[in-house]
Amino acid sequence: MEQIIQTLILGIALGGVFALMGSGLSLVFGVMRIVNLAHPSLIIAGAYVTYWGFRLWGIDPLVMLPVAAVVLAGIGVLLYKLVFEREARSAKYSEMTVLLTFATAMIVEGALGFMFTNTQRVTSPGYATDAIFIGNVFIPMGQLYAGIVSLVIIGALAAFLKYSRFGNAIRATTQNRDAAELLGVNVNLVGIMSFAIGIGLAGAAGALVSFVFSFFPAKHWEWVAVLMSLVVLGGMGSILGTVLASFLLSIIAAFVGVWFGSTWSTMTFFLALFLILLVRPQGLFGEKPELA
Amino acid sequence: MGELLEVTNLTAGYGDGPSILDGAHLSVEPGKVHCIIGPNGAGKSTLLKAICGMLKIRQGDVKFNGQSLKGLRPDQILRKGICFVPQERALFPKMTVRENLRMGGYSLDDRSGLERSIDEIEERFPILKERRDQHAGTMSGGQQQTLSMARTLIIKPAIVMLDEPSLGLAPKIVQEMFDIMKMMASEGITILLVEQNALMGLKNSDWGVVLDLGRTLFKGPAPEVLADPRIQELYLGGKKAA
Repeated sequence: MEQIIQTLILGIALGGVFALMGSGLSLVFGVMRIVNLAHPSLIIAGAYVTYWGFRLWGIDPLVMLPVAAVVLAGIGVLLYKLVFEREARSAKYSEMTVLLTFATAMIVEGALGFMFTNTQRVTSPGYATDAIFIGNVFIPMGQLYAGIVSLVIIGALAAFLKYSRFGNAIRATTQNRDAAELLGVNVNLVGIMSFAIGIGLAGAAGALVSFVFSFFPAKHWEWVAVLMSLVVLGGMGSILGTVLASFLLSIIAAFVGVWFGSTWSTMTFFLALFLILLVRPQGLFGEKPELA
Repeated sequence: MGELLEVTNLTAGYGDGPSILDGAHLSVEPGKVHCIIGPNGAGKSTLLKAICGMLKIRQGDVKFNGQSLKGLRPDQILRKGICFVPQERALFPKMTVRENLRMGGYSLDDRSGLERSIDEIEERFPILKERRDQHAGTMSGGQQQTLSMARTLIIKPAIVMLDEPSLGLAPKIVQEMFDIMKMMASEGITILLVEQNALMGLKNSDWGVVLDLGRTLFKGPAPEVLADPRIQELYLGGKKAA
Protein backbone atom coordinates (compact mmCIF):
# COMPACT_ATOMS: atom_id res chain seq x y z
CA MET A 1 0.00 0.00 0.00
CA GLU A 2 2.73 2.40 0.99
CA GLN A 3 4.54 1.63 -2.20
CA ILE A 4 1.44 2.39 -4.24
CA ILE A 5 0.98 5.77 -2.55
CA GLN A 6 4.66 6.48 -2.95
CA THR A 7 4.55 5.67 -6.64
CA LEU A 8 1.41 7.72 -7.09
CA ILE A 9 3.06 10.74 -5.47
CA LEU A 10 6.14 10.47 -7.66
CA GLY A 11 3.93 10.08 -10.72
CA ILE A 12 1.85 13.15 -9.84
CA ALA A 13 4.94 15.25 -9.10
CA LEU A 14 6.47 14.35 -12.43
CA GLY A 15 3.13 14.89 -14.16
CA GLY A 16 3.06 18.49 -12.96
CA VAL A 17 6.38 19.24 -14.63
CA PHE A 18 5.45 17.43 -17.82
CA ALA A 19 2.18 19.36 -17.89
CA LEU A 20 4.06 22.64 -18.11
CA MET A 21 6.51 21.21 -20.65
CA GLY A 22 3.62 20.08 -22.82
CA SER A 23 1.25 23.02 -22.49
CA GLY A 24 3.51 25.43 -24.41
CA LEU A 25 3.79 22.89 -27.19
CA SER A 26 0.04 22.46 -27.21
CA LEU A 27 -0.61 26.21 -27.36
CA VAL A 28 1.74 26.70 -30.28
CA PHE A 29 0.16 23.81 -32.14
CA GLY A 30 -3.36 24.98 -31.38
CA VAL A 31 -2.92 28.50 -32.67
CA MET A 32 -0.22 28.12 -35.30
CA ARG A 33 -0.61 24.51 -36.45
CA ILE A 34 3.13 24.21 -35.89
CA VAL A 35 4.27 20.82 -34.58
CA ASN A 36 7.20 22.31 -32.77
CA LEU A 37 9.80 19.56 -32.59
CA ALA A 38 12.20 22.19 -31.24
CA HIS A 39 10.11 22.71 -28.11
CA PRO A 40 12.08 20.27 -25.90
CA SER A 41 15.39 21.75 -27.07
CA LEU A 42 14.10 25.19 -26.05
CA ILE A 43 13.18 23.76 -22.64
CA ILE A 44 16.83 22.72 -22.34
CA ALA A 45 17.87 26.24 -23.32
CA GLY A 46 15.65 27.54 -20.51
CA ALA A 47 17.31 25.08 -18.15
CA TYR A 48 20.73 26.49 -19.13
CA VAL A 49 19.60 30.08 -18.52
CA THR A 50 18.49 29.01 -15.05
CA TYR A 51 21.60 26.95 -14.45
CA TRP A 52 23.95 29.83 -15.18
CA GLY A 53 21.94 32.24 -13.05
CA PHE A 54 22.29 29.81 -10.18
CA ARG A 55 25.88 28.85 -10.83
CA LEU A 56 27.25 32.35 -11.44
CA TRP A 57 25.20 34.45 -9.06
CA GLY A 58 23.52 31.89 -6.82
CA ILE A 59 20.04 32.97 -7.90
CA ASP A 60 17.37 30.45 -6.96
CA PRO A 61 15.97 28.55 -9.97
CA LEU A 62 12.43 29.61 -9.03
CA VAL A 63 13.56 33.24 -9.13
CA MET A 64 15.29 32.59 -12.43
CA LEU A 65 12.07 31.12 -13.84
CA PRO A 66 10.57 34.41 -15.06
CA VAL A 67 13.96 35.39 -16.47
CA ALA A 68 14.20 32.12 -18.41
CA ALA A 69 10.59 32.59 -19.58
CA VAL A 70 11.25 36.11 -20.87
CA VAL A 71 14.57 35.20 -22.54
CA LEU A 72 12.98 32.24 -24.28
CA ALA A 73 9.88 34.24 -25.25
CA GLY A 74 12.26 36.68 -26.92
CA ILE A 75 13.98 33.85 -28.74
CA GLY A 76 10.49 32.64 -29.71
CA VAL A 77 9.62 35.95 -31.34
CA LEU A 78 12.93 35.96 -33.16
CA LEU A 79 12.42 32.40 -34.40
CA TYR A 80 8.92 33.23 -35.53
CA LYS A 81 10.03 36.29 -37.45
CA LEU A 82 13.04 34.59 -39.03
CA VAL A 83 11.70 31.14 -39.72
CA PHE A 84 7.95 30.75 -39.59
CA GLU A 85 6.35 34.01 -40.66
CA ARG A 86 7.40 33.73 -44.27
CA GLU A 87 6.16 30.14 -44.41
CA ALA A 88 2.74 31.02 -43.01
CA ARG A 89 1.18 31.46 -46.42
CA SER A 90 2.82 28.47 -48.01
CA ALA A 91 0.53 25.67 -49.12
CA LYS A 92 2.89 23.11 -47.62
CA TYR A 93 2.96 24.97 -44.31
CA SER A 94 2.42 22.01 -41.98
CA GLU A 95 5.00 19.81 -43.68
CA MET A 96 7.46 22.69 -43.78
CA THR A 97 7.09 23.44 -40.09
CA VAL A 98 7.96 19.85 -39.17
CA LEU A 99 11.20 20.12 -41.14
CA LEU A 100 11.94 23.63 -39.92
CA THR A 101 11.36 22.83 -36.26
CA PHE A 102 13.43 19.65 -36.58
CA ALA A 103 16.27 21.73 -38.00
CA THR A 104 15.76 24.32 -35.28
CA ALA A 105 16.07 21.60 -32.63
CA MET A 106 19.41 20.49 -34.11
CA ILE A 107 20.67 24.06 -34.28
CA VAL A 108 19.65 24.78 -30.67
CA GLU A 109 21.30 21.55 -29.53
CA GLY A 110 24.44 22.36 -31.47
CA ALA A 111 24.61 25.89 -30.15
CA LEU A 112 24.12 24.78 -26.55
CA GLY A 113 26.75 22.07 -26.95
CA PHE A 114 29.17 24.57 -28.47
CA MET A 115 28.67 27.11 -25.70
CA PHE A 116 28.27 24.89 -22.66
CA THR A 117 29.78 21.49 -23.69
CA ASN A 118 27.97 18.23 -23.36
CA THR A 119 28.57 17.81 -19.62
CA GLN A 120 25.54 16.78 -17.59
CA ARG A 121 24.31 19.68 -15.47
CA VAL A 122 21.80 20.15 -12.72
CA THR A 123 21.02 23.13 -10.53
CA SER A 124 21.10 22.11 -6.91
CA PRO A 125 19.22 24.49 -4.65
CA GLY A 126 18.81 23.06 -1.13
CA TYR A 127 15.27 21.89 -1.65
CA ALA A 128 16.15 19.90 -4.76
CA THR A 129 17.46 17.04 -2.66
CA ASP A 130 15.15 17.53 0.34
CA ALA A 131 12.12 15.43 1.09
CA ILE A 132 9.20 15.42 3.50
CA PHE A 133 8.45 12.11 5.16
CA ILE A 134 4.90 11.17 6.06
CA GLY A 135 5.30 7.82 7.72
CA ASN A 136 7.40 5.85 5.30
CA VAL A 137 6.19 7.76 2.29
CA PHE A 138 8.45 10.54 1.10
CA ILE A 139 7.64 13.54 -1.03
CA PRO A 140 10.68 14.93 -2.83
CA MET A 141 10.65 18.70 -2.24
CA GLY A 142 12.19 19.59 -5.58
CA GLN A 143 9.49 17.79 -7.51
CA LEU A 144 6.80 19.07 -5.18
CA TYR A 145 7.87 22.70 -5.72
CA ALA A 146 8.20 22.12 -9.44
CA GLY A 147 4.76 20.53 -9.61
CA ILE A 148 3.09 23.33 -7.65
CA VAL A 149 4.79 26.14 -9.59
CA SER A 150 3.91 24.40 -12.82
CA LEU A 151 0.23 24.14 -11.89
CA VAL A 152 0.14 27.78 -10.79
CA ILE A 153 1.55 28.86 -14.16
CA ILE A 154 -0.88 26.66 -16.07
CA GLY A 155 -3.74 28.00 -13.93
CA ALA A 156 -2.69 31.56 -14.77
CA LEU A 157 -2.47 30.66 -18.45
CA ALA A 158 -5.93 29.07 -18.37
CA ALA A 159 -7.42 32.13 -16.65
CA PHE A 160 -5.73 34.42 -19.18
CA LEU A 161 -7.12 32.40 -22.08
CA LYS A 162 -10.60 32.19 -20.59
CA TYR A 163 -11.15 35.69 -19.25
CA SER A 164 -8.93 38.23 -20.97
CA ARG A 165 -9.82 39.88 -24.25
CA PHE A 166 -6.57 38.82 -25.91
CA GLY A 167 -6.82 35.34 -24.40
CA ASN A 168 -10.25 35.00 -25.98
CA ALA A 169 -8.78 36.11 -29.29
CA ILE A 170 -6.15 33.37 -28.98
CA ARG A 171 -8.79 30.72 -28.31
CA ALA A 172 -10.96 32.02 -31.12
CA THR A 173 -8.03 31.93 -33.54
CA THR A 174 -7.29 28.35 -32.48
CA GLN A 175 -10.86 27.28 -33.20
CA ASN A 176 -11.52 29.22 -36.37
CA ARG A 177 -8.78 31.41 -37.77
CA ASP A 178 -10.79 32.93 -40.62
CA ALA A 179 -13.73 33.74 -38.38
CA ALA A 180 -11.47 35.40 -35.84
CA GLU A 181 -9.95 37.54 -38.57
CA LEU A 182 -13.39 38.50 -39.85
CA LEU A 183 -14.34 39.69 -36.37
CA GLY A 184 -11.37 42.02 -36.23
CA VAL A 185 -8.69 39.89 -34.60
CA ASN A 186 -5.21 40.62 -35.89
CA VAL A 187 -4.37 36.96 -36.36
CA ASN A 188 -0.76 37.64 -37.20
CA LEU A 189 -0.26 39.37 -33.86
CA VAL A 190 -2.08 36.52 -32.14
CA GLY A 191 0.32 34.14 -33.89
CA ILE A 192 3.43 35.97 -32.71
CA MET A 193 2.13 36.39 -29.18
CA SER A 194 1.08 32.75 -28.83
CA PHE A 195 4.42 31.65 -30.15
CA ALA A 196 6.13 33.92 -27.63
CA ILE A 197 3.95 32.62 -24.80
CA GLY A 198 4.43 29.01 -25.88
CA ILE A 199 8.20 29.30 -26.04
CA GLY A 200 8.17 31.38 -22.85
CA LEU A 201 6.44 28.43 -21.21
CA ALA A 202 9.26 26.23 -22.51
CA GLY A 203 11.68 28.57 -20.73
CA ALA A 204 9.67 28.40 -17.51
CA ALA A 205 9.51 24.62 -17.78
CA GLY A 206 13.27 24.61 -18.34
CA ALA A 207 13.79 26.41 -15.03
CA LEU A 208 11.90 23.62 -13.26
CA VAL A 209 13.57 20.90 -15.29
CA SER A 210 16.97 22.27 -14.29
CA PHE A 211 16.62 20.98 -10.74
CA VAL A 212 14.30 18.02 -11.34
CA PHE A 213 16.40 16.30 -14.00
CA SER A 214 20.04 16.42 -14.94
CA PHE A 215 20.34 17.73 -18.46
CA PHE A 216 22.72 18.16 -21.38
CA PRO A 217 22.13 19.58 -24.86
CA ALA A 218 21.05 16.30 -26.52
CA LYS A 219 18.65 15.41 -23.71
CA HIS A 220 15.75 16.90 -25.65
CA TRP A 221 15.54 13.89 -27.96
CA GLU A 222 14.29 11.86 -25.03
CA TRP A 223 11.48 14.32 -24.53
CA VAL A 224 10.23 14.80 -28.06
CA ALA A 225 8.22 11.58 -28.04
CA VAL A 226 7.21 12.04 -24.42
CA LEU A 227 5.80 15.50 -25.05
CA MET A 228 4.23 14.42 -28.34
CA SER A 229 2.41 11.62 -26.53
CA LEU A 230 1.06 14.11 -23.98
CA VAL A 231 -0.13 16.55 -26.61
CA VAL A 232 -1.61 13.84 -28.81
CA LEU A 233 -3.39 12.12 -25.92
CA GLY A 234 -4.71 15.48 -24.73
CA GLY A 235 -6.05 16.23 -28.18
CA MET A 236 -3.76 18.40 -30.30
CA GLY A 237 -4.07 21.98 -29.15
CA SER A 238 -6.11 21.35 -26.00
CA ILE A 239 -4.17 22.61 -22.99
CA LEU A 240 -6.53 21.06 -20.44
CA GLY A 241 -6.18 17.77 -22.31
CA THR A 242 -2.40 18.04 -22.24
CA VAL A 243 -2.40 18.62 -18.49
CA LEU A 244 -4.67 15.65 -17.81
CA ALA A 245 -2.64 13.48 -20.17
CA SER A 246 0.56 14.50 -18.35
CA PHE A 247 -0.77 13.30 -15.02
CA LEU A 248 -2.30 10.17 -16.48
CA LEU A 249 0.78 9.04 -18.37
CA SER A 250 3.25 10.08 -15.66
CA ILE A 251 1.35 8.06 -13.06
CA ILE A 252 1.18 5.05 -15.37
CA ALA A 253 4.88 5.45 -16.17
CA ALA A 254 5.71 5.58 -12.46
CA PHE A 255 3.89 2.32 -11.83
CA VAL A 256 5.41 0.68 -14.88
CA GLY A 257 8.80 1.77 -13.54
CA VAL A 258 8.17 0.14 -10.18
CA TRP A 259 6.72 -3.07 -11.53
CA PHE A 260 8.79 -3.68 -14.64
CA GLY A 261 11.93 -1.64 -14.05
CA SER A 262 12.71 1.96 -14.90
CA THR A 263 13.88 1.14 -18.43
CA TRP A 264 10.26 0.40 -19.28
CA SER A 265 8.92 3.53 -17.70
CA THR A 266 9.91 5.75 -20.65
CA MET A 267 8.47 3.13 -22.97
CA THR A 268 5.06 3.92 -21.50
CA PHE A 269 4.97 7.22 -23.36
CA PHE A 270 6.09 5.73 -26.67
CA LEU A 271 3.61 2.91 -26.38
CA ALA A 272 0.86 5.33 -25.39
CA LEU A 273 1.61 7.52 -28.41
CA PHE A 274 1.36 4.47 -30.62
CA LEU A 275 -1.87 3.24 -29.09
CA ILE A 276 -3.56 6.64 -29.03
CA LEU A 277 -2.85 7.16 -32.71
CA LEU A 278 -4.35 3.75 -33.47
CA VAL A 279 -7.36 3.86 -31.19
CA ARG A 280 -8.32 7.48 -30.63
CA PRO A 281 -6.26 9.77 -32.84
CA GLN A 282 -8.21 12.86 -31.77
CA GLY A 283 -7.09 12.31 -28.14
CA LEU A 284 -9.12 13.17 -25.08
CA PHE A 285 -10.36 16.62 -26.08
CA GLY A 286 -9.38 16.99 -29.71
CA GLU A 287 -11.42 17.29 -32.85
CA LYS A 288 -11.81 14.29 -35.08
CA PRO A 289 -8.89 14.54 -37.50
CA GLU A 290 -9.76 15.93 -40.89
CA LEU A 291 -8.84 13.83 -43.85
CA ALA A 292 -8.01 16.78 -46.05
CA MET B 1 -25.04 60.66 -55.03
CA GLY B 2 -22.27 59.02 -52.98
CA GLU B 3 -23.07 55.33 -52.95
CA LEU B 4 -22.92 53.34 -49.70
CA LEU B 5 -21.04 50.54 -51.43
CA GLU B 6 -19.85 50.62 -54.97
CA VAL B 7 -17.99 47.82 -56.69
CA THR B 8 -16.47 48.71 -60.04
CA ASN B 9 -14.79 46.43 -62.52
CA LEU B 10 -13.66 44.10 -59.76
CA THR B 11 -11.18 41.31 -60.52
CA ALA B 12 -10.18 38.86 -57.79
CA GLY B 13 -9.25 35.22 -57.23
CA TYR B 14 -7.63 32.80 -54.82
CA GLY B 15 -3.87 32.72 -54.23
CA ASP B 16 -2.02 32.68 -57.52
CA GLY B 17 -4.98 31.03 -59.25
CA PRO B 18 -7.01 32.45 -62.11
CA SER B 19 -9.35 35.36 -61.52
CA ILE B 20 -12.79 34.15 -60.47
CA LEU B 21 -14.26 37.62 -60.57
CA ASP B 22 -13.56 39.36 -63.80
CA GLY B 23 -15.06 42.78 -64.04
CA ALA B 24 -17.90 42.62 -61.54
CA HIS B 25 -20.00 45.69 -60.83
CA LEU B 26 -22.36 46.31 -57.96
CA SER B 27 -24.06 49.21 -56.31
CA VAL B 28 -26.30 48.82 -53.33
CA GLU B 29 -29.45 50.47 -52.10
CA PRO B 30 -29.16 51.41 -48.42
CA GLY B 31 -31.33 49.39 -46.04
CA LYS B 32 -32.36 46.89 -48.70
CA VAL B 33 -31.79 43.19 -49.16
CA HIS B 34 -29.80 42.32 -52.27
CA CYS B 35 -29.77 38.74 -53.41
CA ILE B 36 -26.82 37.77 -55.57
CA ILE B 37 -27.61 34.77 -57.72
CA GLY B 38 -25.79 32.89 -60.40
CA PRO B 39 -24.64 29.40 -61.32
CA ASN B 40 -21.90 27.53 -59.44
CA GLY B 41 -18.55 29.15 -59.96
CA ALA B 42 -20.06 32.47 -61.02
CA GLY B 43 -18.07 34.20 -58.28
CA LYS B 44 -20.83 34.97 -55.78
CA SER B 45 -18.89 34.02 -52.66
CA THR B 46 -15.71 35.41 -54.16
CA LEU B 47 -17.42 38.78 -54.51
CA LEU B 48 -18.29 38.87 -50.80
CA LYS B 49 -14.79 37.73 -49.81
CA ALA B 50 -13.19 40.42 -51.94
CA ILE B 51 -15.40 43.10 -50.42
CA CYS B 52 -14.58 42.07 -46.84
CA GLY B 53 -10.84 41.92 -47.51
CA MET B 54 -10.30 38.17 -47.31
CA LEU B 55 -9.22 38.18 -50.94
CA LYS B 56 -6.94 40.68 -52.59
CA ILE B 57 -8.47 43.00 -55.14
CA ARG B 58 -6.49 42.51 -58.35
CA GLN B 59 -8.15 45.16 -60.45
CA GLY B 60 -11.02 47.54 -60.08
CA ASP B 61 -12.16 48.97 -56.78
CA VAL B 62 -14.56 48.66 -53.89
CA LYS B 63 -15.70 51.95 -52.39
CA PHE B 64 -17.53 52.32 -49.13
CA ASN B 65 -19.03 55.78 -48.55
CA GLY B 66 -16.76 56.98 -51.29
CA GLN B 67 -13.56 55.59 -49.69
CA SER B 68 -11.64 52.79 -51.34
CA LEU B 69 -11.31 49.56 -49.36
CA LYS B 70 -8.51 48.35 -51.57
CA GLY B 71 -5.57 46.92 -49.62
CA LEU B 72 -7.31 47.00 -46.24
CA ARG B 73 -7.24 43.97 -43.95
CA PRO B 74 -10.50 42.25 -42.94
CA ASP B 75 -10.29 43.69 -39.42
CA GLN B 76 -9.94 47.22 -40.83
CA ILE B 77 -12.90 46.75 -43.15
CA LEU B 78 -14.96 45.36 -40.28
CA ARG B 79 -14.24 48.48 -38.25
CA LYS B 80 -15.78 50.51 -41.05
CA GLY B 81 -19.03 48.63 -40.52
CA ILE B 82 -19.01 45.81 -43.05
CA CYS B 83 -19.70 42.39 -41.57
CA PHE B 84 -19.32 39.10 -43.39
CA VAL B 85 -20.92 35.83 -42.29
CA PRO B 86 -19.26 33.10 -44.35
CA GLN B 87 -20.84 29.82 -45.37
CA GLU B 88 -19.35 27.85 -42.50
CA ARG B 89 -21.05 30.29 -40.09
CA ALA B 90 -17.76 31.28 -38.52
CA LEU B 91 -18.53 30.33 -34.96
CA PHE B 92 -16.08 29.20 -32.31
CA PRO B 93 -17.47 25.75 -31.50
CA LYS B 94 -15.72 25.33 -28.17
CA MET B 95 -16.51 28.76 -26.84
CA THR B 96 -19.81 29.46 -25.16
CA VAL B 97 -22.62 31.32 -26.90
CA ARG B 98 -21.92 34.35 -24.74
CA GLU B 99 -18.21 34.22 -25.56
CA ASN B 100 -19.07 33.98 -29.24
CA LEU B 101 -21.18 37.11 -28.95
CA ARG B 102 -18.34 38.82 -27.10
CA MET B 103 -15.97 37.92 -29.93
CA GLY B 104 -18.47 39.61 -32.25
CA GLY B 105 -17.58 42.84 -30.49
CA TYR B 106 -13.85 42.18 -30.36
CA SER B 107 -13.19 45.29 -32.41
CA LEU B 108 -15.02 47.53 -29.91
CA ASP B 109 -12.95 49.22 -27.25
CA ASP B 110 -15.88 50.11 -25.00
CA ARG B 111 -16.01 46.85 -23.03
CA SER B 112 -18.89 47.74 -20.70
CA GLY B 113 -20.88 49.01 -23.67
CA LEU B 114 -20.14 45.69 -25.30
CA GLU B 115 -21.64 43.73 -22.39
CA ARG B 116 -24.76 45.91 -22.62
CA SER B 117 -25.06 45.25 -26.37
CA ILE B 118 -24.75 41.53 -25.72
CA ASP B 119 -27.52 41.74 -23.11
CA GLU B 120 -29.73 43.53 -25.64
CA ILE B 121 -29.10 40.86 -28.25
CA GLU B 122 -29.90 38.15 -25.73
CA GLU B 123 -33.21 39.89 -25.07
CA ARG B 124 -34.02 39.95 -28.76
CA PHE B 125 -33.01 36.37 -29.38
CA PRO B 126 -34.16 34.44 -26.31
CA ILE B 127 -32.65 31.21 -27.55
CA LEU B 128 -29.20 32.77 -27.23
CA LYS B 129 -29.93 33.76 -23.65
CA GLU B 130 -31.18 30.29 -22.89
CA ARG B 131 -28.04 28.74 -24.34
CA ARG B 132 -25.58 31.40 -23.20
CA ASP B 133 -23.22 29.06 -21.30
CA GLN B 134 -23.41 26.25 -23.79
CA HIS B 135 -20.67 25.62 -26.34
CA ALA B 136 -21.73 27.02 -29.71
CA GLY B 137 -20.76 23.78 -31.43
CA THR B 138 -23.42 21.86 -29.55
CA MET B 139 -26.34 23.91 -30.91
CA SER B 140 -28.51 22.99 -33.87
CA GLY B 141 -27.76 24.36 -37.33
CA GLY B 142 -30.55 26.93 -37.12
CA GLN B 143 -29.46 28.12 -33.69
CA GLN B 144 -25.88 28.43 -34.90
CA GLN B 145 -27.01 30.47 -37.88
CA THR B 146 -29.12 32.66 -35.60
CA LEU B 147 -26.04 33.20 -33.43
CA SER B 148 -23.81 34.14 -36.34
CA MET B 149 -26.37 36.59 -37.70
CA ALA B 150 -27.21 38.08 -34.31
CA ARG B 151 -23.52 38.45 -33.59
CA THR B 152 -23.11 40.89 -36.46
CA LEU B 153 -25.55 43.30 -34.78
CA ILE B 154 -23.13 43.95 -31.92
CA ILE B 155 -20.98 46.33 -33.90
CA LYS B 156 -24.07 48.04 -35.36
CA PRO B 157 -22.92 47.42 -38.92
CA ALA B 158 -23.88 49.35 -42.03
CA ILE B 159 -23.66 46.31 -44.28
CA VAL B 160 -24.04 42.63 -43.47
CA MET B 161 -23.02 40.06 -46.07
CA LEU B 162 -24.47 36.58 -45.73
CA ASP B 163 -23.03 33.68 -47.69
CA GLU B 164 -25.71 31.00 -48.07
CA PRO B 165 -27.35 31.26 -44.67
CA SER B 166 -29.77 28.52 -45.73
CA LEU B 167 -27.06 25.91 -46.24
CA GLY B 168 -27.92 22.65 -44.49
CA LEU B 169 -31.04 24.01 -42.82
CA ALA B 170 -34.60 22.68 -42.99
CA PRO B 171 -36.94 24.86 -45.12
CA LYS B 172 -38.92 26.07 -42.13
CA ILE B 173 -35.74 27.18 -40.37
CA VAL B 174 -34.51 28.82 -43.57
CA GLN B 175 -37.57 31.07 -43.55
CA GLU B 176 -36.77 32.04 -39.95
CA MET B 177 -33.27 33.06 -41.04
CA PHE B 178 -34.67 35.15 -43.86
CA ASP B 179 -37.06 36.78 -41.38
CA ILE B 180 -34.14 37.74 -39.14
CA MET B 181 -32.40 39.11 -42.21
CA LYS B 182 -35.40 41.20 -43.22
CA MET B 183 -35.72 42.49 -39.69
CA MET B 184 -32.08 43.61 -39.84
CA ALA B 185 -32.80 45.40 -43.12
CA SER B 186 -35.85 47.09 -41.59
CA GLU B 187 -33.47 48.61 -39.04
CA GLY B 188 -31.49 50.19 -41.84
CA ILE B 189 -28.80 47.58 -42.32
CA THR B 190 -27.97 46.89 -45.94
CA ILE B 191 -27.90 43.19 -46.72
CA LEU B 192 -25.91 41.38 -49.39
CA LEU B 193 -27.15 37.83 -49.64
CA VAL B 194 -25.60 35.05 -51.67
CA GLU B 195 -28.04 32.25 -52.17
CA GLN B 196 -27.82 29.01 -54.08
CA ASN B 197 -31.58 28.61 -53.88
CA ALA B 198 -32.25 31.60 -56.10
CA LEU B 199 -36.03 31.34 -55.92
CA MET B 200 -36.17 31.51 -52.14
CA GLY B 201 -33.46 34.12 -52.01
CA LEU B 202 -35.17 36.45 -54.46
CA LYS B 203 -38.56 36.05 -52.82
CA ASN B 204 -37.09 37.38 -49.61
CA SER B 205 -35.10 40.21 -51.19
CA ASP B 206 -35.70 43.69 -52.55
CA TRP B 207 -33.12 43.50 -55.30
CA GLY B 208 -31.69 40.75 -57.43
CA VAL B 209 -28.16 40.80 -58.82
CA VAL B 210 -27.27 38.22 -61.44
CA LEU B 211 -23.67 37.14 -61.69
CA ASP B 212 -22.14 34.81 -64.24
CA LEU B 213 -18.54 34.03 -65.22
CA GLY B 214 -17.31 36.60 -62.74
CA ARG B 215 -19.29 39.45 -64.30
CA THR B 216 -22.47 41.18 -63.29
CA LEU B 217 -25.14 40.45 -65.88
CA PHE B 218 -27.77 42.73 -64.46
CA LYS B 219 -29.39 44.08 -61.36
CA GLY B 220 -33.06 44.76 -60.88
CA PRO B 221 -35.91 44.73 -58.37
CA ALA B 222 -36.25 41.16 -57.11
CA PRO B 223 -39.76 40.55 -58.54
CA GLU B 224 -38.55 41.64 -61.97
CA VAL B 225 -35.53 39.39 -61.80
CA LEU B 226 -37.75 36.53 -60.70
CA ALA B 227 -40.03 37.11 -63.65
CA ASP B 228 -37.26 37.54 -66.20
CA PRO B 229 -37.48 34.66 -68.69
CA ARG B 230 -33.66 34.36 -68.93
CA ILE B 231 -33.44 33.85 -65.20
CA GLN B 232 -36.37 31.47 -65.25
CA GLU B 233 -34.54 29.37 -67.75
CA LEU B 234 -31.04 29.52 -66.40
CA TYR B 235 -31.27 29.45 -62.67
CA LEU B 236 -34.73 28.81 -61.47
CA GLY B 237 -35.33 25.43 -63.01
CA GLY B 238 -38.05 26.73 -65.32
CA LYS B 239 -38.12 25.80 -68.96
CA LYS B 240 -34.76 24.24 -69.87
CA ALA B 241 -32.60 26.27 -72.19
CA ALA B 242 -32.61 24.80 -75.69
